[in-house]
Amino acid sequence: MRNILLVAAREYKQIASTRGFWVMLLVLPVVIGISQVAGRFFRPTLESAYVIVDASGDYAPAIERRLEINYQRSELSALSEYVQRWKLGAVKPDALWAKGERWFSDDQVDQFIAEGGIQAAVEIVKPHTPPEAGVYEIDKRNYLKAAVPAGVPTNEGPDALKAGLDPYLQDTIETADGERPLSLAVYIPTDMSETSPVRMWTNSAPNASLVDNVRNEITRVMRAKALEASGLAPETAAAIQNLSPPLSLSAPQQGAGREQVVIRSVLPLAMVYLLLVTVMTTGSMMLQGVIEEKSNKLLESILATVHPAQLMHGKLIGLGAIGLTILGVWVGAAVGAALSVQGVVADIVKPSLAAIEPWMFGAMLFYFVAGYLIISMLYLAIGALSNSLQDAQSYLMPVIMIIMLPVVFMMVSVAQQPNGVFPIVLSWIPLYTPFAMLARMGAGVSMMEVIGTGAMLLVFVIIEMIVLGRLFQASLLRTGQPPKLGGFIAMMFGKNTA
Amino acid sequence: MAILKLDHVVKRFGEFTAVNDLSFEVPEGGIFGFLGGNGAGKTTSLRMALDIIRPTSGSIQILGRKPGRENASQIGFLPEERGLYRRMTVLDTIVYFGRLKGMSTSAAKKEAERLIERFGLSQWTKSMVEKLSKGMSQKVQVAAAMVNSPRLLILDEPFSGLDPVNQKVLEDLVLEMAEAGSTVVFSTHIMQHAERLTDRIVLLARGKKVFEGTQEEARATMAGRLRLESQGDPSTLPGVAGAKRGETDQGWTSWEISLSPGTAPGHLLQACTSQGFALRAFESQKPSLHDVFIHLVGGEQETVS
Repeated sequence: MRNILLVAAREYKQIASTRGFWVMLLVLPVVIGISQVAGRFFRPTLESAYVIVDASGDYAPAIERRLEINYQRSELSALSEYVQRWKLGAVKPDALWAKGERWFSDDQVDQFIAEGGIQAAVEIVKPHTPPEAGVYEIDKRNYLKAAVPAGVPTNEGPDALKAGLDPYLQDTIETADGERPLSLAVYIPTDMSETSPVRMWTNSAPNASLVDNVRNEITRVMRAKALEASGLAPETAAAIQNLSPPLSLSAPQQGAGREQVVIRSVLPLAMVYLLLVTVMTTGSMMLQGVIEEKSNKLLESILATVHPAQLMHGKLIGLGAIGLTILGVWVGAAVGAALSVQGVVADIVKPSLAAIEPWMFGAMLFYFVAGYLIISMLYLAIGALSNSLQDAQSYLMPVIMIIMLPVVFMMVSVAQQPNGVFPIVLSWIPLYTPFAMLARMGAGVSMMEVIGTGAMLLVFVIIEMIVLGRLFQASLLRTGQPPKLGGFIAMMFGKNTA
Repeated sequence: MAILKLDHVVKRFGEFTAVNDLSFEVPEGGIFGFLGGNGAGKTTSLRMALDIIRPTSGSIQILGRKPGRENASQIGFLPEERGLYRRMTVLDTIVYFGRLKGMSTSAAKKEAERLIERFGLSQWTKSMVEKLSKGMSQKVQVAAAMVNSPRLLILDEPFSGLDPVNQKVLEDLVLEMAEAGSTVVFSTHIMQHAERLTDRIVLLARGKKVFEGTQEEARATMAGRLRLESQGDPSTLPGVAGAKRGETDQGWTSWEISLSPGTAPGHLLQACTSQGFALRAFESQKPSLHDVFIHLVGGEQETVS
């Protein structure tokens, strides 16, 4: 065991001293870091300000109310989803946000606003939030109302108003929440007509949604006025204006349905990619190492002190530790980002971690290690058989194709139908079991299937270690042309043809 | 006690017999030469002694035990085909081999530093092996073989690839190791090294042993040769197997004499004196190990490249 560990430590140290290893190790954390920093510093500012000068006095309050309702509805819907995901409905079962609804009528939102809006609702939920959930973050309002700056004439007609607001439209304007770009200025005349229209001015980055909201609300108020003018009672006119189909929009409970499958699959699918990347990387390092030992003619010195099996196991452990280091740093970086930053990574990785049951982590680790051993042994045997990298390439190409092609097809298939025939069949072919089972884990696999495929995989790994181990040992001191098929088979069955 | 003993060892690779019924013993202490041309089976025999490959039949004892890595702590081995990890430092390389042979890190480091200094590599201690010249790399490998102060040092063609200066350094080291109590077994097909260093030798040809014994015993297998100048014909003298006439100068003729097996030059000189056979010159010619090798192996060997 001592010599195995010495070989492993040497392999680890040698790889860890190369520049390529560090580049590979740090590439993912750096990309995550850059994306987070870039996300924070370069995220486009969505918040902008608007100014309304309503000479008629009929429209501005309605527009402001509409924008507030839209904002509170969006927050109410997001809070409802958050409460459902983290099972917080019991905090206040009769609250609008406690029932898993995703759509709310104006009346419901009015009620929500009357109860204090999103601020008050979050205060109720916050004390009951589990630590892993993170506090619900209230989005800022996209549109903030700004008062007409002093010195800008509001009663001298639209042209004078425009002239006064022009400098602000090219820059920012003071709001209750600080400076914001002025993206829309609206002038509503006392009596709207063809010759006296509503005037709107935008800056160089006009906000289409804001313009739509303002236009729709003005239209709505105009129609209500028209209905009233036609003799309808104001209440009836308002009721007609607010008429909308009764609608109840529900999303599946968190932990059920396709959302659950997608979220739970994130981590297992990431493991499949990580397994592929680490095993291919460390495998080729291993291959190069063995070829270096062969071509540098130093194997004989090593074999005088270390048994070939010890050399093989040492390499597997050393390079396995390299693979685990890469895996650890990458997963650590992803999890760290998920837990510390509210971004895309956090939205995906954090819930997927929470959605995976503890026993699945054990199964995933088993499949990962088994997958690593299966592929690494192939690389080691190829390295021992080859006298040069060119030699190795000719063996490697078909082996990689045999492994990669079904795995890639399987990944596509799993994304569409996790428990389709193809992934299930691959799960029972030991060469593909680690990949197929890891990929399907998120969709839910039975404990029996895990035990069955796991047992088969274990037997396969043991047989592979013995058979390819013999091939490795018999090939180490071999030089010249690689053996023919009969030679391979003889070596696998322990007949030394060197 | 024999530190290495091969008993009727055979090694076949498929149809090819590399070592054929080989038996010999290496006594503990001194320097033992393992001689033979290319393809004689020297490397195969040494690999079997180190358990790198297993014999087809026969038995081997090394340090009183069966071959195996458990003997590694008492053995130093320098293979014929040499190489090192290119991206390891000189110090780390020697320490690594010391550790593989069971040494503690501190002991391996201390000895490695001593050997590095002994080989004049001090300024390269922390350098990567890939930056060394071929000669320096070979010294590092020799140091890696010796780092554990082995009881048995096995050197397979140790002088190949070394320039004369480094050959001398290595010869001195081999003598130093032997003086310090190690048994040194080295294989070579260059007889001059064997002649200078070895106490006993084994000669192999095509996998078979053709001789085992001391250098003197080896020479005794060849007819003695000498040159003399006489007025008479020496071919009738007792012990003379053949006489080849050379040039004559003022009545004195030069002769190349080959003696019958078992006849020493002194016996012929004694016969000349007792018979009043006039001599002007008498030069005994001791056969070199190279001559012995050609004599013993020449017919057995197909090619020596």
